[in-house]
Amino acid sequence: MNRRARTRCGAALLLGLVTGLMPVPRALPAQSVRARLEGRVPATSIPVIDSLIREAGREGLPTDLLVQKAIEGGAKHVSGERIVKAVELNIDQLRRAQALLVSAGDTPPVTPSEVAAVVWARKRGLDSMTVTQIVSAIPDERRGAALHAVADLVAHHFPADSAADLILAAVRQGMHGGRLLDVSYAAVQELQRGHSHSEALAMVQHQLPNVPAQPTPPKSSLERARRPLAASHGEPATP
Amino acid sequence: MNPIDPRVHQALDGEISPDSLPPELRRQVERLEGAAALLARVPELGVERRVMASISRPAPTRVRRLTRWLVTPHSLVLRVRPLWSVALAAVAVLFAIIPVRETGPRLGQEEGIAQFVARFPGAQSVAVVGSFNDWAEGSIPMEDQDHDGVWRASVVLPAGTHEYMFVVDGERWVADPLAGRYVEDDFGRENSLLIVRPAHR
Repeated sequence: MNRRARTRCGAALLLGLVTGLMPVPRALPAQSVRARLEGRVPATSIPVIDSLIREAGREGLPTDLLVQKAIEGGAKHVSGERIVKAVELNIDQLRRAQALLVSAGDTPPVTPSEVAAVVWARKRGLDSMTVTQIVSAIPDERRGAALHAVADLVAHHFPADSAADLILAAVRQGMHGGRLLDVSYAAVQELQRGHSHSEALAMVQHQLPNVPAQPTPPKSSLERARRPLAASHGEPATP
Repeated sequence: MNPIDPRVHQALDGEISPDSLPPELRRQVERLEGAAALLARVPELGVERRVMASISRPAPTRVRRLTRWLVTPHSLVLRVRPLWSVALAAVAVLFAIIPVRETGPRLGQEEGIAQFVARFPGAQSVAVVGSFNDWAEGSIPMEDQDHDGVWRASVVLPAGTHEYMFVVDGERWVADPLAGRYVEDDFGRENSLLIVRPAHR
């Protein structure tokens, strides 16, 4: 083999290696969605669901929530038609959440966990105005916990605007993440001790940021804890 | 020392009557007789008697001997090699500095513990299914160890929000009555909502 032939051979080998190592955009996720749905969702619905999820992925929506919804429907022995409807409904919710985040000042593409946090908040009964208020006031990924904390309070019939004010006050005092859930927990505790909603809010607001933490699981339960056999494959959720 | 008058001796021995003595000697005889009576009432203090009494006493019990050994001061001789002492001190310091590792699974930065508790009297099996295990039955079985109808499970989950339900006897899907947070499942029911906080805060 002369020198030129050796050079050509080397270049071809290098090209082959580079081509082989290059990721195939979008083809792999689509395959993995189908693979995850097979055997768990009625086979006739898989192409439709797969198509819907791929479309959502192109819009930058978090697809794992949609895959989860389809798998959930299959596990609950729901018909393929209803699973498709549920996936469509979830795509619509995700689109609205994405739009809300963008209107609140987020620069697209918004992160999947942020979109998911807004969807859960809306599903839990928070109106779009309150969600926008929270999202606008907290310009980072701490929103998930804040939205859940406000939703917890609203679920216990606290007025949404007062609940949002309390949680935002806690954020201004430097609280974030799970500590915001401690705030809503403390307010609910005061309510259960017989105080009115406004009294409970005022009492907790006065305690900020030294709100007592929720009780944690004892060590004996930690020793028994085990990981589920089939772990979730999705992106990290909130908070 | 004043010598005792021989007549006093005679009176003490009963050879003559004390009444025949002059008053001074008679008082001396009376004092000596009183002293003799007093000595007769005092217990025997002889060494021989005391030794014999000690020998005849029953042997002390083990507890008594141990108690006596414990309360009696003992001399203690401690010989120390400086090199070994330093090594021992270093080991003690290491044990004090290094925190004792907790038992149980090692949790990641973004993992937490989820505890599930539910009351299903008469159920044969209860499992937790949710977004964390792809809604697969059997991956998180709950346990009712004391057969009181209260089923429990503790699992390590990724920190974040998860939707879940209980599956009773492999067929009945039930939302967790103690969850406190619920969302519509879009199939006509409600899922329980679980927020797992990272264990390492």
